[in-house]
Amino acid sequence: MFKELDPILHSQLRLAVMSLLISVREAEFTFIREKTNATAGNLSVQIQKLKDAGYIDVIKQFKDNYPQTICKITKQGIRAFEEYVANLQSYLGKG
Amino acid sequence: MEEKKLTEKESLDLIATMINQAKDSYHDTGISAIMWGIVISICALEKLVEILFDFKLPVDIYWLTILAIVPQVFISIRQKKERKVKTYDDIYMDYLWLGFGVSIFLMIFIVNAVFNASEPVSAEYARLTGHPSPFIFREFIAPLFLLVYGIPTFVTGAACKFRPMLWGGLLCWACCIITIFTTIKIDLLLTAFSAVFAWLIPGIIMERDYKRAKQELAQTHV
Repeated sequence: MFKELDPILHSQLRLAVMSLLISVREAEFTFIREKTNATAGNLSVQIQKLKDAGYIDVIKQFKDNYPQTICKITKQGIRAFEEYVANLQSYLGKG
Repeated sequence: MEEKKLTEKESLDLIATMINQAKDSYHDTGISAIMWGIVISICALEKLVEILFDFKLPVDIYWLTILAIVPQVFISIRQKKERKVKTYDDIYMDYLWLGFGVSIFLMIFIVNAVFNASEPVSAEYARLTGHPSPFIFREFIAPLFLLVYGIPTFVTGAACKFRPMLWGGLLCWACCIITIFTTIKIDLLLTAFSAVFAWLIPGIIMERDYKRAKQELAQTHV
């Protein structure tokens, strides 16, 4: 019996963001934008969705008088990501 | 990147790609390694010249290592500000090198204390016997420092999969063993040699990689 894939993670940009954040301790918004090649607007929307789901923490602060947004994966996010990968593997293994 | 429905295979590929991108995303500058490689080799070589030509500078050249802490603090602050991403390794590496710095300064303190205590004994031995003391403490200073130099260098090289530093750390330990049996002149030469191969050359390679990565990033954003 296949488990349904988490709809929050089963989206290209949100999955890309989570995959980046799982490998690092924290990353700036600009770094995520560089790596995903997403537009700032679209990325902001997807980051907000991940934040609302409790998968990432978003810290907004100022650095040298410029606003800085830092994203960090949460424990809940790590669990969700691991479960998502396990489900994907079961799909591919049995499919 | 656009929003689209992914297949399971595409999802796994995307995860692998992004994880690899994150891994390759950060390149440390080699400035600190270059600076310490130069400072330590200058100090060791200057000491060697003092012995070879029998003169003494008005101040101990090793004060240069204290002076070098000032630019090191500025370099560290600037690098922290420039970092757009913090990896899990960063924190361990920072503590490792901080621990190394503290250990080195404790070593200097201990070595000075032992040197000051052993010198009068050696002088007294020479006065009473008419022969130089068989135990000259300064002959054993270089192996102690080379032992400590090797630890963070080897760990950094192994943890960051950066072979020049890994080999540099091993070279420090090899020179540590050799200097137990050699005279102070060879000790100082091997200390300078170790500093060049453990820090200066790896630092130049790191700096070159950092500049190349920065240039590539700039080109992708044109």
